[in-house]
Amino acid sequence: MELFEMFTPMAFVLVVFGVFVGIIFGSIPGLTATMALAVFLPLTFGMDLGEGLALLIGLYVGGISGGMIPAALLKIPGTPSSVATTFDAYPMAQKGFAEKALKIGIVASVIGGIISLVVLYFFAPVLGTVAINFTPVEKFLIILFALTIIASISEKSMLSGIFSGMLGVFVSLIGVFPTNNELRMVPSFLEDYLWDGFSLLPVLIGLFGISEILRNSEQGLKTDKSKKVTLKKAKTDPEARFSLKAFNGQTVNTIRSSFIGTILGILPGVGGSAASLMSYSQAKNFSKQPQKLGEGSREGIIASEASNNGLTGGAMVPLLSLGIPGDSTTAVLLGAFVLQGIQVGPLFIGDNPDLWNGMIIALLFANIVMFLMMFTSIRYFARIIEIPKHVLFPIILVMCVVGSFAINNGVMFDVWTALIFGVLGFVFMKIGIQITTFLIGFILGRDLESNFLDSMQASGGDLFVFFTRSPIDWVLWALIIGSVVFGIMSNRKNSRSAPDAATDSAAV
Amino acid sequence: MKKKLAALITAPILALTMAGCSSGDNGDEGGVDVNRVRVVLGSSSTTADTYQNAHAFTENVGKSLDVNMKADAIGANKAFQALNKAKPDGSTIMFFHDMSYLSVKYGSQPKKFGLDNWTVGPVVSLNPGAAFLTKHDAPYNDMVEAAEWLKDNKSETLTFAVEAGGTSELSLDAFYIWVADTYGDDVAKRIKVFATGSDEEKNQALWSGNVDIIYGSIGGNEQYTKDDVEDKVKEKFLAITASERVEGFDIPTFEEQGIEVDGEPFTFDKEFFVLMPEDIEDSFSTALDDAVAEAIETDDYADELSKNNFKTDYVPLDESTQYIEDKRERLETVIDRAPEFNDLAS
Repeated sequence: MELFEMFTPMAFVLVVFGVFVGIIFGSIPGLTATMALAVFLPLTFGMDLGEGLALLIGLYVGGISGGMIPAALLKIPGTPSSVATTFDAYPMAQKGFAEKALKIGIVASVIGGIISLVVLYFFAPVLGTVAINFTPVEKFLIILFALTIIASISEKSMLSGIFSGMLGVFVSLIGVFPTNNELRMVPSFLEDYLWDGFSLLPVLIGLFGISEILRNSEQGLKTDKSKKVTLKKAKTDPEARFSLKAFNGQTVNTIRSSFIGTILGILPGVGGSAASLMSYSQAKNFSKQPQKLGEGSREGIIASEASNNGLTGGAMVPLLSLGIPGDSTTAVLLGAFVLQGIQVGPLFIGDNPDLWNGMIIALLFANIVMFLMMFTSIRYFARIIEIPKHVLFPIILVMCVVGSFAINNGVMFDVWTALIFGVLGFVFMKIGIQITTFLIGFILGRDLESNFLDSMQASGGDLFVFFTRSPIDWVLWALIIGSVVFGIMSNRKNSRSAPDAATDSAAV
Repeated sequence: MKKKLAALITAPILALTMAGCSSGDNGDEGGVDVNRVRVVLGSSSTTADTYQNAHAFTENVGKSLDVNMKADAIGANKAFQALNKAKPDGSTIMFFHDMSYLSVKYGSQPKKFGLDNWTVGPVVSLNPGAAFLTKHDAPYNDMVEAAEWLKDNKSETLTFAVEAGGTSELSLDAFYIWVADTYGDDVAKRIKVFATGSDEEKNQALWSGNVDIIYGSIGGNEQYTKDDVEDKVKEKFLAITASERVEGFDIPTFEEQGIEVDGEPFTFDKEFFVLMPEDIEDSFSTALDDAVAEAIETDDYADELSKNNFKTDYVPLDESTQYIEDKRERLETVIDRAPEFNDLAS
């Protein structure tokens, strides 16, 4: 199969189309990159393999990148892996620098995507087998490491942050117990609805989207005219305008975050949200001005976006070298291969060099298209912030409801979930439970548990396995402890320098 | 080219509509009273054999029925719930395999989702390649040798990667009972399980040394058994549970190895079939059965299945209930004799 016989001009058109639709899916709360792939998967069966893959790869890259748009503008992460983007992009947008925040995110995304692509191209077979050395023990420690972000971002009281995070973990465990299918923490009349627990996206939409609307509504929906003025001034105000100078002094942060995303993408069972949270945590720990993270800092946006796009190439590594999908989106991609009769696995690259090269070209092209498409049109998206709240909020509310309903192909309970967690989020703000740390606990809780259980099963219940299985464990423990200590120190410094700052989690 | 462009323009609208809407519209096309059939799957994976068989089913049977069928991989519990609430017009049906009733017997799904609450539709295909595998350098080459090795090495255990309530648990149960009968309880008690879910997780558990034997399939695992695969991920087949060997593969069946339960050879052909609401309209179920009978005769259906070593396997509507109930009864005797999952896991 000749490369350009497989990768036809139509394939390039399909990448562009895929990126476009992917961005739309990513930018609507509740519609994810995974859903975009799943919905379009049947459409690819009538296409040539190259064209089908081109479309799916475009959707993948677009879907992951599009998640930053609602994260920055509405404080609703479009995908779970853009949760950390909300921490700084939203406050920056609130200051009137929405376009700048998005453009920083777009540039970071393309850098992360390309770095991970280079790693994929040159090291896929080697890294694929290295990933096998990461057993559930190491994966548990990595997720624990990602959870250390709670120490970094806890506001006012770290104890309250830890409590909120633990509560999130606790709520994530509602539903069927994975090893023996026993239900737990589910009243019998809710068995049908909570069999698999609360779906992540409705919880996320409720906590971030609906609770924010409630909070704003409580304060009144008068339009803040200063934002409109500031956004318009972006053409003349150098501070509001994006330039590559925003990346001055951010080389290490960008590269480190891209690699964190790539490496965590390589490890199946760890996930994109862990990657972006860990990158954010490390950006804060190594920052010269950690107190600025969470208040509209470019460092935070770069960390989150470079890592979640770094994930795209990383997650392809185990897929193409072992036949093991790195995340839920690449799992759908694997389905496309299987249905086309192609076995993705240890012999894939050697047996299908043209297909392999075609995929790399498609990924590179998709990243470039994503960059051009988003960079040139983002100013129109940024104008969302100019829409008066009394017009915007009902639209967001409808998007939240439709998105929640669509997640599992029309389950009404998911809409109730979003509404319940919207109200809960509002109550949490009032009583001092930190929404962000709660959500982080919720996102990482199930993976934390399943890797812990697998470690226990494999070791016969010996807790020392977390210290003795391999030298990697010691490195991970050192990182965990270091991250917690840095987090505590920066938290204390913040509390001392700005005792009155950040009264609740809504002001992340 | 024009058609593709038109498809590209309309696809996002269609996609959003499909994502947002779940119920079928009523219409009068295609000889049945619906113009779209949502086929919910008992598995949420788009890579496992259920999705692959469902895809062949929706494509080919949908064509014969002249109705747009869409496979929706939502997982067992959600699929049963959807079926429970489905209208009798056939706008929502379920596609799954033997796990649909085994999971209820094992207690991993509520009793209200038992086979007796549905109309069993036609059986359509089978995966004859459900297999046990191990690392390429394991000191045994088939299931009997594995049992012998366990008997000879009294300080060792054999750990199987198994999904609770799944077909992997059933096949392990049969092996366990045979080991207990043949070599005694002391040997059988050293058979352990490592609870895990997808095929990918099972492979990973094998490669990282957490289990000794996994339950996979010829279609999914063949690639890891080839000569030029790196040692770290290389696997070998120990046995398949199907009643017949798969052409082109030198893998013995359980029956050939003499693995028996209560004096009867243990065979398990993993079959895919349709479940419909209990009160399904006769016009729909008959039309569906006719469409399956027509599709099954076409090369397209068989060819698509054979890409992953699956086969067509038609049991018509008027025989399918009895057929599946007989099979359930036979398999339940294995489950009744087997130890509890939690005991195997400890």
